[in-house]
Amino acid sequence: MSDRIYGYAGRVLRINLSTEKVKEEPLSKELIYGYLGGRGFNVRRLYHEVPKGIEPLGSRNKLMFATGPLVGIGLPLGARLNVTAKSPLTGILGDSNVGGHFAAEMKYAGFDQIIIEGASRRPVYIYIHDGDVEIVEAEGIWGLSISKAYDIIRQELGDWRIQIAIIGPAAENLVLFSGIFFNVYRPAARTGLGAVMASKMIKAIVVRGDGYVEVARPRDFERFVEELEEAIYAHEQYWPRRSMGTSRILLAANRLGFLPAKHFTEPVVDYAFKVSGERLAIEYNVKNRACFSCILPCSRFYVIKNGELAGTYGEGPEYEALAGMTVRIGNDDLDYALKAIELANDLGMDIISLSEVIAWAMELYERGLLSRKETDGLDLSWGNMEAVLRLIEMIAYREGFGDLLADGVAKAAKRLGKGLDLAFHVKGLEMIQADPRGLKGYGLGFAVASRGADHLRSEPFIELSDNPDVGRRLFGEPEATLRLGVRGKGRLVAYYENWCALVDSLEVCKNIAENMEILPPSKMVEALRIVVGINMSVDDIMKVGERIVNVERAYIVRKGIRRSDDMLPRRFLREPMPKGPSAGHTIELERMLDEYYRARGWDPETGIPTVEKLEELGLDYVIDDLMSHGIRLKKASGSRQSSPP
Amino acid sequence: MVRRLVVDPSKCVGCRYCELWCSYKHEGVFSPSFSRIIVVKDDRIGLDYPIVCRMCDPAPCIEACPNDALTRGEDGIIRVVDAKCNGCGSCVEACPYGAIRLSPRLRRPLICDLCGGDEPICVKKCPTNALRLYPLAEEDLSENEKAFDKAYRYALEEHKRLMRRWGLHVR
Repeated sequence: MSDRIYGYAGRVLRINLSTEKVKEEPLSKELIYGYLGGRGFNVRRLYHEVPKGIEPLGSRNKLMFATGPLVGIGLPLGARLNVTAKSPLTGILGDSNVGGHFAAEMKYAGFDQIIIEGASRRPVYIYIHDGDVEIVEAEGIWGLSISKAYDIIRQELGDWRIQIAIIGPAAENLVLFSGIFFNVYRPAARTGLGAVMASKMIKAIVVRGDGYVEVARPRDFERFVEELEEAIYAHEQYWPRRSMGTSRILLAANRLGFLPAKHFTEPVVDYAFKVSGERLAIEYNVKNRACFSCILPCSRFYVIKNGELAGTYGEGPEYEALAGMTVRIGNDDLDYALKAIELANDLGMDIISLSEVIAWAMELYERGLLSRKETDGLDLSWGNMEAVLRLIEMIAYREGFGDLLADGVAKAAKRLGKGLDLAFHVKGLEMIQADPRGLKGYGLGFAVASRGADHLRSEPFIELSDNPDVGRRLFGEPEATLRLGVRGKGRLVAYYENWCALVDSLEVCKNIAENMEILPPSKMVEALRIVVGINMSVDDIMKVGERIVNVERAYIVRKGIRRSDDMLPRRFLREPMPKGPSAGHTIELERMLDEYYRARGWDPETGIPTVEKLEELGLDYVIDDLMSHGIRLKKASGSRQSSPP
Repeated sequence: MVRRLVVDPSKCVGCRYCELWCSYKHEGVFSPSFSRIIVVKDDRIGLDYPIVCRMCDPAPCIEACPNDALTRGEDGIIRVVDAKCNGCGSCVEACPYGAIRLSPRLRRPLICDLCGGDEPICVKKCPTNALRLYPLAEEDLSENEKAFDKAYRYALEEHKRLMRRWGLHVR
């Protein structure tokens, strides 16, 4: 086809469930040049199409799925997808990124982006195959767990190659941190997008296609891929990642002293090996599994071979789920952790948020602030896994005390009127499994991330190098790349946020592209030239990343987010780390924030982007829109670059 | 001597890198639907299994073709004579392994041609060594069988099955 856009499927699918109308739109060149794909496409559209005041669980919210130009071709790291909507958990940007095989299949079915509007009156699933869309009655599978629904839909369609996005009972009961699960074990879990899908009465979205993707310069592409293959295979992290995935982080975090054990009261524990990725690799893992087109198969299939839970099997877990169901809730029993993860997955919840609501309740219980009467008889002592398994079901089905926790920790603390200081979230999104007192760049990242407390918006892994030379070279400040340093973190986080926005928009793997530094911006530019055939400089592409971050910021500013919301819970600001290699540290957030806003070209008083910055990024529509909402934009004197010199 | 692709499913991780590069090498596009190797997957139970032409002799696909459009070379590779093929799909039906599909574009059977024979792209690209080309050389282990006890003989029998999955030709 002559109008074919290399690297892209070239079309956007819009499905309105209220009217059952389906529309195809061409992918515009303006969107490609300005936002590249995935997260960029979604947030640009969310900004325009989901205005202020929309009810997240109402029919006017939109649920979007988008992938990028490096997916579905033989690049050894491209398989990702972003799911985006207004979040029912936080009321701001809802966005989550997932791997697996769905994104590529969506492109073969003909689409780079799928937008779901309106709401169905009865349960349905949507079957998208080779450009056709069927809305199929799903009364019989509503209420089923993820794994059961997966089996039944596959059998019903008689095609094992379909890729399915499914919600579980937790989403159907509008648990505000329920996720969307892709073929059973891979969730886009954060920010409660499962509940958005449930509010539209969609049990599943199925994609299947016989289409194809072409690259602009095939010969160059072959060479480029061979170079990437060698860089990946020869990387020092290749084998540790292949044998353990991110589960290897647990022991490392214990060594460096930033575990979230017992709700961030114990940064080191003496039982770390018992619940580690290393132990999983030795005693549990039976095979590796990979995302589509990935040569670093870091996912692991496990079987519990002994004990009362023998016979339990599944895929994973990654570090976040592993630490969440072990150290964070004071549990040293790996079998029960795997069982809890399997249960929470099958019911369809985000285990990061889940681990926080449980750990929060446990800390209150242990301190005598929460009575057994209030927990409906559950003994929430640290590590009581019998109670945890029961509580997971109570949350998913919103029974009793579980109903309180199902709204997330911020709302639960408000409703209970207790433990507000102990509710560990930023902007309503629960914190991940790392104590920011021992990882200060990450801590700043949690505070400013556009979807709330989260590491994946910035992932400034380089501070773990603890190498001052790197910081001096990249950011003109040796402390920038010291884990416990403060100066230079603003520039560090701003730069890594821009890079991560590109990773999420090209939809490549963040572990390989960013953490292993296989796809730095200079390689991204090369990939775009070879795959899509567009010429951008490194500066150009970094501007795209910065643009995406600024549109997200504007989106949450429009919802009322200001500097005072770029905050961390009190424990991390005031209580010194009790022991371990980070002992004595708190996090010097305000100083880092000042530097961050300067690096961003945002008003340091309010955290609102300045007119100059928005103009520089070509975001005139954002300027007009924010002003029409009565938001005053300041003019900065001499806004600075956020990229390293 | 005929060489064929050997699969060690215990090593397959289901990345489908083989499918993508197979479709690219033969059709110039990236798409599993245009691949001559098919990775069967079922995520819930951790199934990843590459299916590829086994070069059966006699070959049910050749026998089933009503137009004599499939021929076998001396190298054992089954090839499609485009001019004779009308895309009826009898070969697809006949293949006992489900290793043949019709190309979505031209409705022609997609049958593994070992990329000509020397270095199939799927073998080259597989990140886990799950695919091998069955070699010409044969290794004779029968002297070992005679030399040792029952336990060794049993273990060797089992091990030979494993070695064949590695693509070795053992007797």
